[in-house]
Amino acid sequence: MFAFLLQSVASTFDRPAIDLHALAPEFVLTGALVVVLLVDLFTPKGSRGIVPSVAGIGILAAMVPVLTLALDGADRSMFGGAYVVDNFSLVLQAMFLLAAYVVVLLSTNYVAEGDYAEGEYYFLLLCALLGMLVMASSRDLITMFVALELLSIPAYMLAGWRKRDRRGNEAGVKYYLMGVFASAVMLYGMSLLYGISGSTLFSDIALAVARGNGLGDTTPLITLGVVFVLIGFAFKVSAVPFHTWAPDTYEGAPTPVTAFLAVSSKAAGFVALLQLILIAFIGRDDVVGPLMWVLAALTMTVGNLIALRQTNIVRMLAYSGVAQAGFMLAPLAVVGSNSDGARSAVVTYLLIYAAMNLGAFAVVLIVARKTRSAEIASWGGLFEYAPGLTVLMTVFLFSLAGIPPLGGWLAKFVVFRALLSPDLTAGGVILAVVVGVNSVIALYYYANVARQMWMNPVPDGDRTPVRIPFSLAAAVTLSVVLTVAFGVSDLATHLGDLATFLPA
Amino acid sequence: MVAQNVFFYLLAGIILFSAFRVVTSNNVVHAALYLVAVLAAVAAEYVLLAAEFVAATQVLVYIGAIIVLFLFGIMLTRAKLGSDQDLTHPHWALSAATAVVMFGVMGYALVDQFHWTATPLPADTRLVSVDGSNSATVSDSVFTAYLVPFEVVSVLLLAALVGAIVLARKD
Repeated sequence: MFAFLLQSVASTFDRPAIDLHALAPEFVLTGALVVVLLVDLFTPKGSRGIVPSVAGIGILAAMVPVLTLALDGADRSMFGGAYVVDNFSLVLQAMFLLAAYVVVLLSTNYVAEGDYAEGEYYFLLLCALLGMLVMASSRDLITMFVALELLSIPAYMLAGWRKRDRRGNEAGVKYYLMGVFASAVMLYGMSLLYGISGSTLFSDIALAVARGNGLGDTTPLITLGVVFVLIGFAFKVSAVPFHTWAPDTYEGAPTPVTAFLAVSSKAAGFVALLQLILIAFIGRDDVVGPLMWVLAALTMTVGNLIALRQTNIVRMLAYSGVAQAGFMLAPLAVVGSNSDGARSAVVTYLLIYAAMNLGAFAVVLIVARKTRSAEIASWGGLFEYAPGLTVLMTVFLFSLAGIPPLGGWLAKFVVFRALLSPDLTAGGVILAVVVGVNSVIALYYYANVARQMWMNPVPDGDRTPVRIPFSLAAAVTLSVVLTVAFGVSDLATHLGDLATFLPA
Repeated sequence: MVAQNVFFYLLAGIILFSAFRVVTSNNVVHAALYLVAVLAAVAAEYVLLAAEFVAATQVLVYIGAIIVLFLFGIMLTRAKLGSDQDLTHPHWALSAATAVVMFGVMGYALVDQFHWTATPLPADTRLVSVDGSNSATVSDSVFTAYLVPFEVVSVLLLAALVGAIVLARKD
């Protein structure tokens, strides 16, 4: 009967060609998040630990199609180029999945021991992860915007997950209000770009906004559209002056969520920026270059100077994350002369940053289980009762500071290489000097935490050893192995060079 | 064409007046109701542009859902429903100046791009009218070109629903 009804409708509808293999990571993850919700529904209240296991297995299962797509190696493009699977999307999807797996490991004990809605927590985490996967593949304004909302809205709610805590409420509300404001600005920019190009596809927008195409190319309207869209994502990556939400949100949110925001959410913002700048706005480096130059210089300088004054380790990591975002924005300033180098540098930096920052947050979580405090002063004398952890934290901090042979050193190196090649430009050299000066400033506050741990006495004299739960130990191990491996091998730069876009 | 222009300026006048009253009214409920007028007039502008699907969505979503949410929010959280002098923010002059500057920049950019002449809309190959109906075109493109975002939105709504229940639940 339904077939009869359908036949009676005179339709010109053409079924779109859908490549199921290309969409398999998203399908598996969507299945996993529904399973998480159902498992939580049907498990008795006391039996905790099942839901995080299911969530972790779901994330690893979504990794399988990413690997088979990588082995297959063919670029896939669907819906007229709106949704693609290329090297760039695969490298970044693998990073998002691995980072989210570490976040699940970080959350396991924290969520189970606090009074939180456990099943819904992992459900929202997986929803945000799905948004990130879609983001890495989207080459279309609407797909990108919906992906951004899917990764942002669960993050707003997770930031306010400690709903009986005033600072938790502040974290959620501040992040939400700033986030929707940024979305509104970005959406206005997108509407201008659509109005000019008549298409939401990046490839069509690139043709319409490029210089010298005879379409009234360098008009203020195009510049306004480009700037508004980029500013929307500058909020997401907490670039100065759009960073004001970050410290309060990072401090008030549950610490595993903070790690997720500082790593995955920020990386998603950079993924969007890379796709927009290198595909849609590739012909407009005269607008993008100076904008990114100013944002990068401001972000690293202001982030570092405020980080110097912090006494709370989570706030310090928040401001250091702002400064690190500045380092990642720097290669985008020379996108006009070295676009391949900029892409490779940002991807390399993102991979290394994810490993070392997640590691630092894992140690913060472990230590906070004992000290019940996030003040840097409470870290005094950590070496006396937890020497192993102290060494690991020192590795992560010195990696963040960029000391060889750890991963962070290579990350800084690729930024310098992108800024200074293929030939020296005044803007690139000055920005490289700013990056250099800021690396030295950053060393001060990272070393300050190390000094607390190694030299200072234990503040309350409590030297009982720290008990490390299995999941946190696994997270720290994974992070430290990657941080060191990225430093001593060319794995990260290799992946960065590999992550090329599908030629339009 | 003349009738279209007359109605355009009529509606634009309603929008401007109501929007001005939204920010100057001393009564929250009045402000919300003026916002209804703004949104309804915008919906009417969409009809003038032959975008009937967008107009219907505008009425359903903004007037039917968002304004109702506003009014419920006002009634559930604020006891004071009458006139309130404190509604005007002390820094309103600064905000007004910012708004005027932004209006100047955006208005200049738009006039500079399109001048004061009629500009034909650029043709999107994926949005060609089917059987003369824009709604049919929208539905076709939702299930072809924009299939991925359409499916992603359904996950987004589920996530919003689950999260809102957790945050609002008393436990």
